[in-house]
Amino acid sequence: MRLITKFSLSYLLITILVLSTGGVISYFIIEAEVDKEMSRQFYDRVQRLEELVERRTETEEEFHLFTKKIPDSANDRRGIIIRSLSYPVKERVEVTDTMIWHDGLQRMERSIKVAAYREIHNRSYYIASYGVLIESDDIAEAVIKTLLWIFGLQLVGAFVMGLYLSNRTLKPFNKLLHQIKDFKLKKRNVITATDTNITEFQDLSRFMEQMTRKAIDDYHNLKEFTENASHELQTPVAIAGSKLELLAESELTSEQLEWVASAQRSIHKLSRLNKALSLLNKIENQEFEDEQEVDFSSLVSESLDGFRELWELSGISVKINISDDVNLKIDPVLADVLWANLFSNAIKHNIENGRILITITNDLLKIENTGKVFEGEPSELFERFKKQNQSSQSIGLGLSIVAQIAERYDWEISYKVREHWHRIDVLFGS
Amino acid sequence: MKLLIVEDSIDLSRSIDTYLRREGYISEIAMDFREALDKLLGFTYDVVLLDIMIPKGDGLRLLEELKVINKQTGVIIISAKDALDDKVKGLELGADDYLTKPFHLSELHARIKAVYRRKHLDGDDKLYLNEITIHTERMEVSVSGENVVLTKKEFELLLYFATNRNHVLSKQSIAEHLWGDHVDHLDNIDFVYQHIKNLRKKLIKAGAEDYIETVYGVGYRFAITLNTSSSN
Repeated sequence: MRLITKFSLSYLLITILVLSTGGVISYFIIEAEVDKEMSRQFYDRVQRLEELVERRTETEEEFHLFTKKIPDSANDRRGIIIRSLSYPVKERVEVTDTMIWHDGLQRMERSIKVAAYREIHNRSYYIASYGVLIESDDIAEAVIKTLLWIFGLQLVGAFVMGLYLSNRTLKPFNKLLHQIKDFKLKKRNVITATDTNITEFQDLSRFMEQMTRKAIDDYHNLKEFTENASHELQTPVAIAGSKLELLAESELTSEQLEWVASAQRSIHKLSRLNKALSLLNKIENQEFEDEQEVDFSSLVSESLDGFRELWELSGISVKINISDDVNLKIDPVLADVLWANLFSNAIKHNIENGRILITITNDLLKIENTGKVFEGEPSELFERFKKQNQSSQSIGLGLSIVAQIAERYDWEISYKVREHWHRIDVLFGS
Repeated sequence: MKLLIVEDSIDLSRSIDTYLRREGYISEIAMDFREALDKLLGFTYDVVLLDIMIPKGDGLRLLEELKVINKQTGVIIISAKDALDDKVKGLELGADDYLTKPFHLSELHARIKAVYRRKHLDGDDKLYLNEITIHTERMEVSVSGENVVLTKKEFELLLYFATNRNHVLSKQSIAEHLWGDHVDHLDNIDFVYQHIKNLRKKLIKAGAEDYIETVYGVGYRFAITLNTSSSN
């Protein structure tokens, strides 16, 4: 869920809660106010009647005349009642709330009745005014209508606010996010701080700038160190190798010769490891930047002679299917390394009298070879120091180098094993 | 042959020096730019082995100086860097060959001989190994005057043996010499044996002595005592 959606939803949820609580409160307040106002009106009417009675009914006859003019509205919804009472009363006003059947609406309605007991001209009177209060439904309806309007306006407000926030306020944040997504140590593009008047974003952006600068520096230093270290290693390795070569020529027993040979093999492996790691490093460091149109078809065809003996001696048969003019945009050194690693891998991990099938088109390089059944996850063989046979003399970096080159050019690479057939696909320009 | 080894690692220089002295060459060692320049100005060398990462000045600069001082001197760059750029730059500046550390002394020797032949004998050289004669330029081999037909690899193998005769050559060194970087990827270099077997067969059949002996576990040696002094 996007931050802005989250904000808007929370805002709307709170609005709904506030509005509904507010609605209930409004309902009761309005009802109370209306009731108060109406009972005041009824009371006013009673008072006016009192005045009338006082002015017009000085005698019994006058009273009868007066009451005749007033329709007896005892059964009406709204009306007034004036009765003379035959007994003296204590002057008082009574307000009563009742439910009365409403014919028109066919339901009980809240009604109010204000009744006054009065002594006028030494006669007792009961003067009452009654009527239906404003229906609670009406109040509720009015409240709900109002609230719906407010809610509608809030929705529009939330939407406008969301737009504003995401376009203006959250802009630096979104920009930073975008930069972080694009950030690659190897590409050395520092995330630069953006000026914003929001403190948190300002802090975050500054922090990201510092952090990425440091990460890039550290990475760079480490790479430089590794590269220097690998160069520095070559000289001692060369010394050890040369001394062993001299030693092998002195008078040694066959056992001692075996020791020398074993040490030589280790020196050789050490040197190969060092070279391979250094190569991996250089590819990672983007030191091969000489991108050219490389005629991969010719490169492969020309290299075959160099390899021919190596596969023929193991009785391997090679079937090659290359499209003409397969051109790749790649550093020529890497093109060579990629091919040599893949092909020698297919020879190396083959079986006696095995087979190799090579297909090269503009879109893909497919290399299939017979080999031992491999139980593990084949794609792991692209990882460093992962070998099909852990005890083999192989240094386990050949395919990592291939994978690294593929990654460098955004090519997709896969390794599949089906029984004794191994297959590597490199999809160019995927 | 007179050589100058420009290399800041004394241990490596000494190994090279020892190997070359056994061949009867005269070699001197310079540890840095100054010393190397002094020696180059004072003496004439047939071949200079140059580490381009020497202290007190870039090795490539020394190469430039050298080309001004004496064009006839052959130069082999030895470097820990196998960066193609350095290689190209070095060769452009007039180096005759480029060898990446670590290397086999026998390989270095073969390269020295090749450079020497190119520079001083116009590549035309005959090696006499008793009854065997190797004509380097025409890539021909004869035993007691009779031509022996060898494949390119067998010829290169024989030349490698001849250059490093009486030295122990490891299988690895032979494989790298004949197949270059391709064997770097391979664990099994038994195919070297095939070629040696074939070469031996052909030479013996042509009437040559069996000079190639196996040094158990390590490799092979072309063991020969020359009857007459040869031209190299």
